[in-house]
Amino acid sequence: MKAQSLQYQLKDSESIGEVVTALTGQFQLTGEPEKTVRHILHDSFDWRLFQSGLQLDEARGAGLHELTLRKLEDDSACETIRLEGPVAGFFHDYPPGLLRDRLATTLQMRTLLPQVEIRRRERLLRLLDGEQKTVLRIALQEQSARPPGRGEYQPMAALVRLLPVRGYDKPLAQVSRFLTAVLELKPQVDPLIVLGLSAIGRQPLDYSSKLNFNLQPLMPAGEVARQIHHTLLNTLEANLPGTRADLDSEFLHDLRVAVRRTRSALSQIKGVFPESEVEKYKERFAWIGQLTGPTRDLDVYLLGFDDYRNSLPEPYRPDLEPLHAFLQTHQKSEQRAMVRKLNSPHFHTLLKEWRAFLAAPPGTESACAHAHKPIGKLAAKRIYRTFGLVLKEGLAINPHSPPEALHELRKSCKKLRYLLEFFQSLYPEDRIKPLIKSLKGLLDNLGDYQDLEVQADKLREFAHQMVAEGEVPADTLLAMGMLVDGLLKRQQASRLVFADRFALFAGREQVAAYQTLFGPDRKKRDVAGEQA
Amino acid sequence: MRIIGVYNIKGGVGKTATAVNLAYLSAQAGLRTLVWDLDPQGAASYYFRIKPRIKGGGRKMLKGKRELDELIKGSDFDNLDLLPADFSYRNMDLMLGEAKGPVKQLLRLLRPLSQEYDRIYLDCPPSISLVSENIFRAADALMVPTIPTTLSLRTYEQMVEFLEGHKVGDVQRMPFFSMVDRRKRMHLDMIKRLPERFPELLQAHIPYASDVERMGFYRAPLGSFAPRSAAGIAYEALWRELEAALKS
Ligand SMILES: Nc1ncnc2c1ncn2[C@@H]1O[C@H](COP(=O)(O)OP(=O)(O)OP(=O)(O)O)[C@@H](O)[C@H]1O
Ligand SMILES: [Mg+2]
Repeated sequence: MKAQSLQYQLKDSESIGEVVTALTGQFQLTGEPEKTVRHILHDSFDWRLFQSGLQLDEARGAGLHELTLRKLEDDSACETIRLEGPVAGFFHDYPPGLLRDRLATTLQMRTLLPQVEIRRRERLLRLLDGEQKTVLRIALQEQSARPPGRGEYQPMAALVRLLPVRGYDKPLAQVSRFLTAVLELKPQVDPLIVLGLSAIGRQPLDYSSKLNFNLQPLMPAGEVARQIHHTLLNTLEANLPGTRADLDSEFLHDLRVAVRRTRSALSQIKGVFPESEVEKYKERFAWIGQLTGPTRDLDVYLLGFDDYRNSLPEPYRPDLEPLHAFLQTHQKSEQRAMVRKLNSPHFHTLLKEWRAFLAAPPGTESACAHAHKPIGKLAAKRIYRTFGLVLKEGLAINPHSPPEALHELRKSCKKLRYLLEFFQSLYPEDRIKPLIKSLKGLLDNLGDYQDLEVQADKLREFAHQMVAEGEVPADTLLAMGMLVDGLLKRQQASRLVFADRFALFAGREQVAAYQTLFGPDRKKRDVAGEQA
Repeated sequence: MRIIGVYNIKGGVGKTATAVNLAYLSAQAGLRTLVWDLDPQGAASYYFRIKPRIKGGGRKMLKGKRELDELIKGSDFDNLDLLPADFSYRNMDLMLGEAKGPVKQLLRLLRPLSQEYDRIYLDCPPSISLVSENIFRAADALMVPTIPTTLSLRTYEQMVEFLEGHKVGDVQRMPFFSMVDRRKRMHLDMIKRLPERFPELLQAHIPYASDVERMGFYRAPLGSFAPRSAAGIAYEALWRELEAALKS
């Protein structure tokens, strides 16, 4: 049985020979022929496996091609499968089993991408007992890494790994004592993926869609705005290649979120850039939002398709197949149209000019009223005012209010959410996180209320489009009608729970928390720059 | 987890060879496999070069003082572990008799291993005893190596009678011919006639072959040194048939 292993780092690959000599002088060992195996480590673009404490290791060698999901903490294997072809990207491409289940919960809609390729030459020594039984395996590994499939291999530290045999603890203890006490080797606890990435100048978690600023209250608002926009622009650009190639739907999603945040920051952090520039860029970023919208809409239907299907009684489910095909064809053509626009000079110029604008030396905005004001004050004021707006709009809503009133409230809530996310590092984490959370609860409800209706309308539109495009079975249209009905029912249900959700959001404690953190009478903590 | 007992009332019919070779094939196929050597002679342990001894002996194990888990030894092969024999197993009947619910003790001990192993092979000592009754109750399938002679068939029938008499109906009986010598008329004759009388007989049969005897020299499963030998191929066919039955 494969078990967890212990590893030690060698000074360099030359010293492998010395270690072998030292070990054979001390223990009864037998060697196996040297083997070369390539390990390709896979993860999603945003490192979902790594974040869940896992690494996915594809091993290729003579007569060997398998995929193993391992725990980072002890390198133990959760599951191994033999591979016939290339590593599949999405969890649903895997045969039912433990591996697929694990990938489903961690990856969700994301695809696997090769992150680093490691070439490993390994000499395996076996420690034998009096019966010539193997009681410990010792692997001496010389390895190098490169970006998957391309470039030069970069050297990595050589390792000695002890692979214990179950039930034979004594020889394990003896050899590991020998390695540390006599040969003075240092234990190496980093997982393979970390070692490999570091050899090619990378590290895990080098991309995340989460905003993670480290702001200080006294920083000038203009500088903070640049920093926020800069990060958002980097996120946008990081997602471009994956969006163009349609590797998975999340690239486009993250790209669009970066665009929405950019637009929101442009209008919310007021008076830090010249007004004319702000207006110009708001419009230009709105254009990116528009050109990516249709593809995203179809992505959403495709992502939710299983839920749609499962919401119907069993016998009607197959009737939805033509809708699935319709969505797929249209997604493909919208994707192509979108990529053409993303490749246009117009788009390139926009990003280039925006980057140049953000890089302009400070002082360009000296004419702007707030550019030099401390961000702490400005942020609190904006947040408090937006919170007030949300309260006012929300309290005015009664069971007879028109849908538009809720849609307006949703807009204000989104503004508040972006503000809280941009500026959260200015406030104690344990105070601000709960505020974001309860706001999310309200936003989800408002989102359901608006989006479920949009989805229902859109499905009716699809139905007409499908009829116009050719033969559609009547059963399919009927099944879609059932979907529309289900969506509208859920939409109405969401209207009924609105009052409760809003009450949670606007509770006394919440209001008090907003007041103490952001209100005009708050302690002068942001001026002093201290954490309350 | 599936538990496979390899059993015959008669001794020397190829039980241990079967348990060791099938377990090896199972592990090779990627199934996490354990062999439990229940025979105090420790033949299976010998084939894996593992000392036939467990810490604290059989009594402590049965009393639950030691988890089976702590007693397991890794073999020289991936996915294949062994629970060694112990000389104290010669008194296993007595020890089982002292317990509450004496016929369900092995099943109770094996249950905690169900997450860890896909297949557990029990290499059983011959004769009918409390040990074998425990095995019948623990096993999902009972492989019965049977030499194609009239006498062997009598013992098989005795076993069937016992199973029915003791209401151990759940276990799937899988007799198969072992040590088949094609030069012997009686063997050929039995192979031809018996499937009609015993429809549960498996198709695959293991020939009498010196390669199997050589396992004692190599101290290793046949598949690890002569996988393409006639006997090696026969064990593989037998394993496939077993797996097909376990899955159905
Ligand atoms: N197919 C075979 N061809 C030739 N020899 C065999 C074959 N199967 C088993 N043997 C040999 O016969 C002897 C008994 O086999 P084995 O130990 O597998 O039987 P067993 O039923 O487990 O015996 P016991 O009842 O003593 O535990 C061993 O020496 C073994 O090598
Ligand atoms: Mg035996």
